[in-house]
Amino acid sequence: MSYTLHRTAAALVTLAFASVIIFFFIHLIPGDPLYVLLGDVATPDQVERLRSKLALDQPIFVQYLRWLANVASGDLGNSIFFQMPVTQVIRDGAETSILLASITMIWITLIGVPVGVIAAMRHGSWLDQGLSGVAMLLASVPTFWVGLYLILIFAAWLGWLPSSGYPSIFEEGGLANLRYLLLPSLTLAAPNAALILRLTRASMLDVAREDYIRTARAKGIRPARVVFRHILRNALLAVVSAFGFTFAALISEAVVTETVFALPGIGQLVVQSILRRDYPVIQGIILVTVVLYLIINLLVDLSYRVLDPRVELQ
Amino acid sequence: MSVLCQSMSRGAAVLAAALLLSSQAMGAGILRYATIGEPPSLDVQMGTATIAGTIGNHMFETLYAFDSQYKPQPLLATGEKIEDGGKTLVIGLRQGVKFHDGQEMTADDVVASLKRWGEFGARGQLLMKNATSLQATGKYEVTLKLSEPNGAWKNMLAYPEGGPAIYPAGIVSAAGNKPIEPKNYVGTGPYKFGEWRPNRYVELLRFDGYSKLPTPGDGYAGARVANFDAIRFVPVPDVGTRVSGVQAGDYDYAEFISGDLYDSLKSNAAIRIHRNGAPLFGLFFMNSASGILKDNFALRRAIQTALKKDEALRVSFGPKDLWNASGSLYPKGSPWYSEVGTQAYSAGDPAKAKQLAKDAGYTGTPIRLLVSTNYQAHFDQATVFTKQLAEAGINVQMIVVDWATLLKMRGQQDQWDIFVTHHGFVPDPILITFMNDSYAGWWKTPEKTRLVAAFTGTADPAAREKAWADLQALFYEQVPAMKVGDAYSYDIASRKLKGMGDSTVLWPHFWNVSN
Amino acid sequence: MTGLRWYLAPFTSRPLALVGLMILITICVAAVFAPLLAPYDPSRLAPEARLLPPSGAHWFGTDQFGRDTLSRVIYGTRLALVIGIGVVTFALVTGVPAGVFSALFPRIGRIVMRMIDVLMSFPALLLALGLIVILGRGVSNAIIAIGVVYLTTTCRITYGLALRLRTETYVEAAISLGAGVAWTIRKHILPNLISPLLVQASFVFAFAQLAAASLDFLGLGAPPEIPSWGNMLAESRILITRAPWLLFFPGLSIAITAFSLNLVGDALRDQLDPRFRDMIAGPRR
Repeated sequence: MSYTLHRTAAALVTLAFASVIIFFFIHLIPGDPLYVLLGDVATPDQVERLRSKLALDQPIFVQYLRWLANVASGDLGNSIFFQMPVTQVIRDGAETSILLASITMIWITLIGVPVGVIAAMRHGSWLDQGLSGVAMLLASVPTFWVGLYLILIFAAWLGWLPSSGYPSIFEEGGLANLRYLLLPSLTLAAPNAALILRLTRASMLDVAREDYIRTARAKGIRPARVVFRHILRNALLAVVSAFGFTFAALISEAVVTETVFALPGIGQLVVQSILRRDYPVIQGIILVTVVLYLIINLLVDLSYRVLDPRVELQ
Repeated sequence: MSVLCQSMSRGAAVLAAALLLSSQAMGAGILRYATIGEPPSLDVQMGTATIAGTIGNHMFETLYAFDSQYKPQPLLATGEKIEDGGKTLVIGLRQGVKFHDGQEMTADDVVASLKRWGEFGARGQLLMKNATSLQATGKYEVTLKLSEPNGAWKNMLAYPEGGPAIYPAGIVSAAGNKPIEPKNYVGTGPYKFGEWRPNRYVELLRFDGYSKLPTPGDGYAGARVANFDAIRFVPVPDVGTRVSGVQAGDYDYAEFISGDLYDSLKSNAAIRIHRNGAPLFGLFFMNSASGILKDNFALRRAIQTALKKDEALRVSFGPKDLWNASGSLYPKGSPWYSEVGTQAYSAGDPAKAKQLAKDAGYTGTPIRLLVSTNYQAHFDQATVFTKQLAEAGINVQMIVVDWATLLKMRGQQDQWDIFVTHHGFVPDPILITFMNDSYAGWWKTPEKTRLVAAFTGTADPAAREKAWADLQALFYEQVPAMKVGDAYSYDIASRKLKGMGDSTVLWPHFWNVSN
Repeated sequence: MTGLRWYLAPFTSRPLALVGLMILITICVAAVFAPLLAPYDPSRLAPEARLLPPSGAHWFGTDQFGRDTLSRVIYGTRLALVIGIGVVTFALVTGVPAGVFSALFPRIGRIVMRMIDVLMSFPALLLALGLIVILGRGVSNAIIAIGVVYLTTTCRITYGLALRLRTETYVEAAISLGAGVAWTIRKHILPNLISPLLVQASFVFAFAQLAAASLDFLGLGAPPEIPSWGNMLAESRILITRAPWLLFFPGLSIAITAFSLNLVGDALRDQLDPRFRDMIAGPRR
């Protein structure tokens, strides 16, 4: 119980520090959102008058406290560029990113884990070396390069799949629109599946060396049962935590893939907002992502405690 | 005509329009337009972003509008009386024009809109700084009094980008200098605001209560018939995606396609190319307020002498169809076209430039060139020019930043000597940025002030054209900026779109267009 | 088994890792001797020779400015090495001392690690992006931005390693016999950190390539005048159907470089003491 409380408290403290960094850090970015909003022709006078109208000329600390107070009540503020609430701006992007991340996780799990198990079971063989080599290769290739060539082959030359964009599944087309996410999810899945593959393999090999596995084998339990009931279940412990972080990373770091496939996701939105100096949107997205990371972190920590009683508070 | 006759003929016109609209409404569907990016606020009075103008033109209207010959014709106005030597303008307004919220447009709305535009609008000061009074002198009449006549007044009232769009009085007065929020986008245009989903699309819906003019559509003037149920503007930043989207049928129209793809698209039977009839031009602005170029016109001329501009144009824009190395600030065919001063436009003589620079006192100090990477053409041109200037012994140091940073740095006088931007086509030279003394670059000399006063002080077209030629000569003598050349952007459309014409006037518009 | 033989041993049994090592050496040679190896000046503009496919005169073709792709790929090795070395150095110089001191002085250590936690709760790419936009474009700024991301992992790893070492019996014995902090570090901790950190460094080097390429691709990395593989990909992206060779060679270069580094790092890691092996995360953040 105290472990849970301690961990939760730690997470909250981290969040508090993070909020400070988010706010001040972002306001360090040079450039001015109002010039972007009003355009090339705007005079400094017009810009300054708009600045005071939007209360952007208050001292930075005051702006921070107002932001914090608003966030506590669920209001992430108004986008400077769009002149509408940040939550509204993020909403569509969030749908795309979450869907993309989820589909990618499915590929990663379907490919990474079984292949990792096979490699571990055939440890040392040509198959194992080959698979590990391929995994390493996939983890080394720049994702956007893979993506661009997938587009070239499957969309431009063969015409099997759309090259880009993403009409929402809640609109015309319905679930068939998921095919727009096929190439992007495969592109994102490649390096991550490779990592999960290696992690599964390494984890299984580590567990297989443990004494209790030797005991199980000595007891005469069938090899397959040993693998699945004992080795895999314990090895998956390490892999599961990686899943959590991978999912969080997929949502926030898919920006390059989103750019290549012109997907209206969160990553794209953040980069565009940075270029437009749309501070409220940048802050809002980073805050949400940090909260997501911390929650996942917390859940992983707590799950370790539950799943493996040997873990104790450091 | 008696009031009864008037209302009956108007009623008949409305009925005919309604029948026309409803018969074409069947199966016209949605037009999907792939844009180059997300627009900032669509409050067109406040900002000058092209994409905001393209979208906003369907929702908002101005008192006058340009026909295909770039002449302003009455749109929301019926006509005008000019009194007092051009200092008093009495503008009559059309009756029965409805806003999207169902209210009728009256003089109060026009006065409120023009007042706000004059005070806070992007280009409002150009006209309204000399306004002594603006009043509603009747339910359908406004009177504007200026302290001096301004020959460009009608052009300014007709230009919607950063211009006096007419909004309802209540909304515009409440907004003040804050951009109007999407929920309050109310105008008089053939389409009304539907929905804005950031990163996905901006959707406009047909406005069934639109009052169209009886005259046929001509450019932006005349009747505007909305044939589509809705128009969706989808931001697609990647040009390759825009193109493949049109080919695949995902979009009906895609704007700003890059020059490299022109040749292969021209031969594509399924696609029509719409070249913009109104060219953009790149401008390299000199810092007239501070730094090495401040008062040194001779050095500026030396710099321009070193440049061979068609090389930069070829690298930035590609096929010859899409650019023109012309020194005149306006293209041939425009009443403002002139060759005065253009001998200095692109001499391409590095040896002579070196000598001129030396004579001007240049000793090799680095000249800071501020350029952004967001517009590839800017960066390409800057790269080419830097190399050409190096051959003339002129040392240029490129400061490469992103556009938002450039906009900020540009306002700091000691941070740069030259900055790079481009300029859209404007129907009246008074709207060109460097004509405004406070625009970055800060060009303000006694000669300029004199010539600008002569230019705006008369409404006689011949006199204005002469004054403009003098200004162009001054432009090449004092070099407040260097023109790179004319660039014709082009859009592509599916062949099913009818009514577009081969080239667009200013921005593409989708009234009088159908599938 | 220590010293050079320790480092070379894994390569004798792993042909693939040996290939990786050879490739890395080739890249270093290319970087140093670029002016001799490249057939053309990488910044030479030749608009009349735009967008030529690979041919005898231009083995890798030309780009939209007429620049020779092969020469640019060769010169690109320089930036790749600069970024890699820069990021690794930054991460080690900042992360290692922080990690070691945090392990030896637990009270300050906990605060420092909390700060690291805060930094790690930010998505890595966004952190780097934000830093780049604040600092401005440029190679040294890109190094700092990516370096900050990896200093967090380096610090964490060093902290874990140093903690484990500190609780070794012989170290505790030395401390109880009156050994000073500086001596402990020098004699016991640092020497044992070298191998694991070297392995980590090779993975960081690899990942720095990909991170830098991503930044370049978004237009926020190295300035456009410098031949960089990532910039080459960004600039030729719209021409993918017209000139696919422009994308192929720079992308391949990035992939081969990262792959070789990962292979080498992996091979060395298998040499490590199993206790330390798990702490080196491998080719990921």
